[in-house]
Amino acid sequence: MAEPGPSPAPASRPGPAPSGGTATATEPLLRVERLVKHFPLTKGVLRKRRAGQVHAVDDVSFTLSAGETLGLVGESGCGKSTVSKLLMALEKPTAGHVFYKGEDVTALRGKDLRRLRRNMQIIFQDPYSSLNPRMTVGDIVAEPWDIHPDVVAPKDRVRRTKELLERVGLNPNFANRYPHQFSGGQRQRIGIARALALHPEILICDEPVSALDVSVQAQVVNLLEQVQDEFRLAYIFIAHDLSVVRHISDRVAVMYLGSIVEIGTEDDIYDKCAHPYTQALLSAVPVIDPRARTHKKRIMLVGDVPSPTDPPSGCRFRTRCWKAQDLCAAEAPALVDRGQGHPVACHFAEVVQVVAPVQPPAPLDSPD
Amino acid sequence: MTVATPGSTLDHGADTPCLLEVDNLHVEFRTDDGVVSAVNGISYTLAAGETLAILGESGCGKSVSAQTIMGVLDSPPGFVTAGEVRYRGRDLLTMAPREQRAIRGAEISIVFQDALSALNPVFPVGQQIGEMFRRHRDSSRKDARRAAVELMDRVRIPSAADRAGDYPHQFSGGMRQRVMIAMAIALDPAVLIADEPTTALDVTVQAQIMDLLSELQAEKGMGLILITHDLGVVSEIADRIAVMYAGRIVETGQTDAVFRSPAMPYTEGLMASIARVDQKGQRLHPIVGAPPNLARLPDGCPFHPRCPRATERCPRELPALREVFPGRRSACHYAEEVLGG
Repeated sequence: MAEPGPSPAPASRPGPAPSGGTATATEPLLRVERLVKHFPLTKGVLRKRRAGQVHAVDDVSFTLSAGETLGLVGESGCGKSTVSKLLMALEKPTAGHVFYKGEDVTALRGKDLRRLRRNMQIIFQDPYSSLNPRMTVGDIVAEPWDIHPDVVAPKDRVRRTKELLERVGLNPNFANRYPHQFSGGQRQRIGIARALALHPEILICDEPVSALDVSVQAQVVNLLEQVQDEFRLAYIFIAHDLSVVRHISDRVAVMYLGSIVEIGTEDDIYDKCAHPYTQALLSAVPVIDPRARTHKKRIMLVGDVPSPTDPPSGCRFRTRCWKAQDLCAAEAPALVDRGQGHPVACHFAEVVQVVAPVQPPAPLDSPD
Repeated sequence: MTVATPGSTLDHGADTPCLLEVDNLHVEFRTDDGVVSAVNGISYTLAAGETLAILGESGCGKSVSAQTIMGVLDSPPGFVTAGEVRYRGRDLLTMAPREQRAIRGAEISIVFQDALSALNPVFPVGQQIGEMFRRHRDSSRKDARRAAVELMDRVRIPSAADRAGDYPHQFSGGMRQRVMIAMAIALDPAVLIADEPTTALDVTVQAQIMDLLSELQAEKGMGLILITHDLGVVSEIADRIAVMYAGRIVETGQTDAVFRSPAMPYTEGLMASIARVDQKGQRLHPIVGAPPNLARLPDGCPFHPRCPRATERCPRELPALREVFPGRRSACHYAEEVLGG
């Protein structure tokens, strides 16, 4: 972040940030509070005039505990990747705060921000464009130590690089090769090794398997699960593939047009979803097992997602919702528990079982 | 004419008329790095009203056969080195260009994955759809436009008459794909090829598009070839399936039966490696390694370096696609054992 922050950063390491409220023993690892990000839209070439704004993220709040995986799902343009950039302080929020162990990330700059970023790393969707083609794999994995030289002593770097490569399932002797010599799955492993180099506590995975071949996706998902246990990592797992998210997540947040519409445990979302959008989303997922399909009635959404430059009044989903009434246009439903056991942002929330109940693994799944 | 000869074509009901037959097709790409065999003798058939899914990962050659059928294979570098593509019994590849053009687009049409690059950015979509009628039916400008609006309505593009003058960039991804479908069904083709029609789309839009395709197919009795890597989509829509790996068809059969009990370790591996929305906590069993480079295929069975069941026979001997039981073919030496679990 190049531009100066709004206020000098409260940078005392142990104590809580003043705006952070009470950082007690119950303070989660990461607490996101009413995060808002609007991007300005400008018109004109010489004199740029403000012509509106894109409401990329609107009033998003959630927490993440140590060792936990929070899945963030939603369709393209719903703001899930903007959330990841805000968490990493790669974008400056329009309003709201991100607290890491009680410390306000959004107020940090320079050295303090660097110190914090050590604990939060990200892996990107596209393993082709997120690795520098002119650097060897060993240099890519070791680069974080140039910025944080205290993590690994210079003399140990080669050894540590090899250990990391080995840990993610790559031949450590490949450290001198270049990214183009690796397949997509292997490149994603390199990205994971680089993210692990600084021993972070939080790993943000932004669509980490979407670009990979079907047969390779599971390799990367399994690797992520293994290193999570080993390093006690917390994951923010951003994806549009609801099956992979169910597999890996402890809790899931569903986003629509910049806001979280429903959040809960994996069971809450997949077995007891109460928001119409979640229900439509889940019912659209193709089901392989014909036995599981009979339970299912597909909810077909009409039309497209409205433009985030001009979101609907009240509930943002109301323009496509079959339950919408006057109340929905007048009043935005708050994300609160309405008796479903988990927070839902719908005036007419009602639990529906969309996905067939979990079946005992069929012969389908056991390869031997 | 529909009865399959062993090892070459797929089975389907002997009483259904066969529309399209791909027979022992070989396609290679002559690149600077050498000759790449993208398609190594694949065969399949398609009957009216039927949906055949061609399932495979990127680079397995699944789109190349579609490009060959449509005559849009980039040549050079791509060359058909052997095989036939018969439409209603006549080989498309040896037909006079004028005859080919009359069939392609009108009788056999295609929906591509990336609608934004498949549509011309500088013409309104109504005009591009209307071009089908201008080219093939010699319609007047006015008639073509009216037919285009009707089609846009048919594929459920809201306020079609107003939007016919809009350009592709003014549509969302799902709406663009509807425009592509409108063009593809414009002349009531007998065969529709959908090459990864929903890969770039969100899951709710994917459901809309697949729903539209099935509806149009039922209405018009088209044969549908669905090319995809998505097992979920395949299982919901396809009657029969052909699984491709490294330029070969490695398993064919009825979709539900194949997914219930695969006869090829690759299919089995795919099934075990995907996360499923109706299951939780299941362990994923990935296939080890990565798909092979087509320029340097392993000896013998191309899947053997990744196969948990491989024996010393597999690198020596390329297994033929053979019938395991009526309605099922597998290119594995040990298909019976794989079936047995």
